[in-house]
Amino acid sequence: MIDPVQLYAWHFMSYPHLPADFDEKYDSGWVTVPNKLWDKDRSRGLLNTYIDQLAYADELGFDGMVLNEHHQNIYGLMPSPNIIAAALTQRTKRGKIVVLGNLLPLHANPLRVAEEYAMIDNMSDGRLIAGFAPGSGPETFNYNVASAPSRDQFWEAVDLIRQAWTREGPFMFEGHHYPLRYVNPWPQPTQRPHPDIWIPGARSRDTLTQIAKNGYCYFLSSRSHGKDTAKAVDRFADTLKAHGDRYLPKRMGILMSTYVAETDAIAQEESREGIWYFLRNCLKGHQRREGRQLTFGPGVPYIPANEFREYLAQSDPTTPLLGDTQDWGDLQRAQSIIVGSPDTVFERFMSVLEHAPVGHLLIQFHMGNMSDECARKSMRLFWDEVAPRLKKETGRMFNERFGRDEAALEAVKA
Amino acid sequence: MSAQLIQVSGRMVSLIESGDGEPTVYLHGFADVHGVAGEMLPFHMDLAKRTRLLAPAHPGCNGSDDLPGPHSIEDAVFHYLEVFDALGLKEFNLIGHSVGGWIAAEIAVRHPAMVRKLVLIGATGLFVTNEPIGDVFMHTQPERGVDYSTLRRMYFSAADEPLALRYYPDGRGDLDEETRRYQMIRFCSFVGFKPPYLYNRSLVDRLHRAKMPSLVVWGEKDGLTPIAHGHAYAQGLPGSGPLKIIRGAGHAAHVEAQDETGDAIATFLRS
Repeated sequence: MIDPVQLYAWHFMSYPHLPADFDEKYDSGWVTVPNKLWDKDRSRGLLNTYIDQLAYADELGFDGMVLNEHHQNIYGLMPSPNIIAAALTQRTKRGKIVVLGNLLPLHANPLRVAEEYAMIDNMSDGRLIAGFAPGSGPETFNYNVASAPSRDQFWEAVDLIRQAWTREGPFMFEGHHYPLRYVNPWPQPTQRPHPDIWIPGARSRDTLTQIAKNGYCYFLSSRSHGKDTAKAVDRFADTLKAHGDRYLPKRMGILMSTYVAETDAIAQEESREGIWYFLRNCLKGHQRREGRQLTFGPGVPYIPANEFREYLAQSDPTTPLLGDTQDWGDLQRAQSIIVGSPDTVFERFMSVLEHAPVGHLLIQFHMGNMSDECARKSMRLFWDEVAPRLKKETGRMFNERFGRDEAALEAVKA
Repeated sequence: MSAQLIQVSGRMVSLIESGDGEPTVYLHGFADVHGVAGEMLPFHMDLAKRTRLLAPAHPGCNGSDDLPGPHSIEDAVFHYLEVFDALGLKEFNLIGHSVGGWIAAEIAVRHPAMVRKLVLIGATGLFVTNEPIGDVFMHTQPERGVDYSTLRRMYFSAADEPLALRYYPDGRGDLDEETRRYQMIRFCSFVGFKPPYLYNRSLVDRLHRAKMPSLVVWGEKDGLTPIAHGHAYAQGLPGSGPLKIIRGAGHAAHVEAQDETGDAIATFLRS
């Protein structure tokens, strides 16, 4: 039997106390956003409020909680997601703790990540999902990570960590970036052979190949879900096939954002401020044309030149990004932030999943400066009124579409 | 003029060659041959009237293969030693602009006997306190997805300088030129992102070894490498006179003010 879609609550932990004229006065919410805007008084307890929201998701019954790493921005106040993960090990009992992920090229020695993840896995009794990410444009600037060698560095670090969890130590690691004489970390993770490994990726064929070859889970880094999401599933399925494997929904996850309320009108009314704060401020410098976007482009050359040439040939630099969204209509079309009644949200999530049958939905509930009350209400309504239907429908759909593939894979194993 | 690919230790290197006489190697920068243009610019063509000018493209640029794996400035210097071997060059003039000037200086301090005369134009490579080299990486990210005006100002005296607009237009440029621009910045990301940016802290104390006659040329309005770096090179290179400043020109002084810069270099090479 194939599991129904797994539903996780993802918290980005944005900074909610920007001045009302932030967008007019400041070029970017990333890297260069002046930290004098951090309001010490109003920010007391903020991170704990966010941790409480994640613990609430666990109480409701979500399959897991998702954290990620950002530096020097207002989009995500989690420079070290491992610290939040450690707190969650003590606050939650059942859900997976997905750290998606630690940015490996930012570490002088990635063994530190192997060690901290092993600690989290022990402290949570085997609930860690270990995400690794290479970082992108912002890290180039905020942690002084050279873009060009960063992918190579990243894959070597992933390899080192996996070996550190699976090979008998001490052993010597003859890496190019991380040559180490003695690899022998204590403690070892609770899960055997090691926690599931998730890797984000967008277009890169090389990334998909590495993920497919090594049995990792592919998280599609995109906030919008149209035809490209379905194409990404197909491309990943093809890559798996080329490596003698088959696509199953559990191998792939995507990010969705939502706000659920009693009716569509109430949902729009309650989420309006948080969503536009998120789009205009948090995405400025990341996924917005206004200002200087730092995430991807010629100044952060982490992809090979031939891939960049393909991108140039296929893209238009004036195409609006998510943060340029003008109105609710635009937002609907982007299939990114889905706002509405439980019926609306269920239907729109299902339409994404029918085209892109992924097994993990990582869902952002808190957006921008949304109140604690609204974030909790949306999570509760989602869990009570949307999740059961999503589970039921995807359970049926996944087994119809992939039951034979799963059986075939089981047969190979047996 | 001939453009060709030569084989160097199993890698292909793209090389443009023009003229006769004593050999002069030219190492390119950004707003330059290979860095954006597919062929030599008027500055190079003039120079090739009095010397045999050889302009290889840096690894990964304009048809040259990448160096294998991640590489540093040391690897780039060694790569050029292999290029010189492949071309049979024992002694030659060496001209470098921008990051090409940095590589030229690194070669000159290690192998002074190879370099008959050294010319640096707006060279990066030095660390000068409180005079940081500009953040070419950040400014290569366009504003609003399309606006390259701050990048144009880094390379030229003004954002609306006609050649600046020719090579770094707003919006999507020529596909080949944009690809060459990307290849050059990617090469720089490998060899010069760390430390931030484009220098080797040890180089200034090594300049004393490069005793060959040297000329240091700088655009008065260089928006990438502060003019203090020009003075530091002119002071540190024992064979250099005072810094030659090209009035009104920007970082790519030889592109923007080709006559004045070209004359200064021709006079120096003749002397």
